[in-house]
Amino acid sequence: MNPTFLSGTLQAYILVALLLFVIGLATVLLRRSLLMQFMGVELMLNAANVALLAFARFRGGDVEGTAFYLFIIAVAACEAAVGLAIVVALFRHKQTTDSDRADTLRQ
Amino acid sequence: MFLIFALMTLIGALMMFRMKNLVMAGLSLVLSFIGVAGLFLLLGNPVAAALQIIVYSGAIVVLVLFVIMLLASHEEEAPEKSRGIQRWSSAVVISILGTGAFWLVKSSPALAAAPLPKVDPMTLNRLGIFLFHNHLVAFEVAGLLLLAAMIGAVSLVKREL
Repeated sequence: MNPTFLSGTLQAYILVALLLFVIGLATVLLRRSLLMQFMGVELMLNAANVALLAFARFRGGDVEGTAFYLFIIAVAACEAAVGLAIVVALFRHKQTTDSDRADTLRQ
Repeated sequence: MFLIFALMTLIGALMMFRMKNLVMAGLSLVLSFIGVAGLFLLLGNPVAAALQIIVYSGAIVVLVLFVIMLLASHEEEAPEKSRGIQRWSSAVVISILGTGAFWLVKSSPALAAAPLPKVDPMTLNRLGIFLFHNHLVAFEVAGLLLLAAMIGAVSLVKREL
């Protein structure tokens, strides 16, 4: 078995990242629950991370890629905290987590 | 190995997209994130793999599952109206985008011919030295951002401060 099959080629990694991004986008656009949409956003962020680290590896193992990945997950953690707080606050106002039922800003 | 982890990632993601029960969707998301961590291991980056497991499949998914159970919204609510045009147009846009990008990646000669250079696996030592030498300010700002997000989340959820 050749080593590229074991560890994958750059093209294969980018394809995985691409499919992950498309599934995340489909979740955001086609599911109605805000929590599902949130999980879709996390999936899209992960797709970007896979592509980033794959490119870093095939450039020769840069440290920059991993440093960037660290900042991305810091921002993703902030986004998770604030996004879920907004969902909880919205549920208190409107008793729903459905994005169709919460399409106005005013009461 | 690559095939196993790639399939794990994609099947977890697809299961999350199809699942009716939100808790099960969260658990499939864990499967997907663990697959991504495996991909990072194959990329010679155990630091990123560990961070992926700790932060994503640990912290973030647990947070989401907490909120799902707290709000008792285990199932998606019944649709208010069908919104057929929007759903179909978004499905069409997603498939056009997906197939277009897939075709672009597939037909790119530079991506297919990229050689696999020999590298040492990433260590926390290398990452830490690089981070504190070159990106010290950004690192501190990231800490500040986390603090701001924490305060923001508390003030959003708390009824009266």
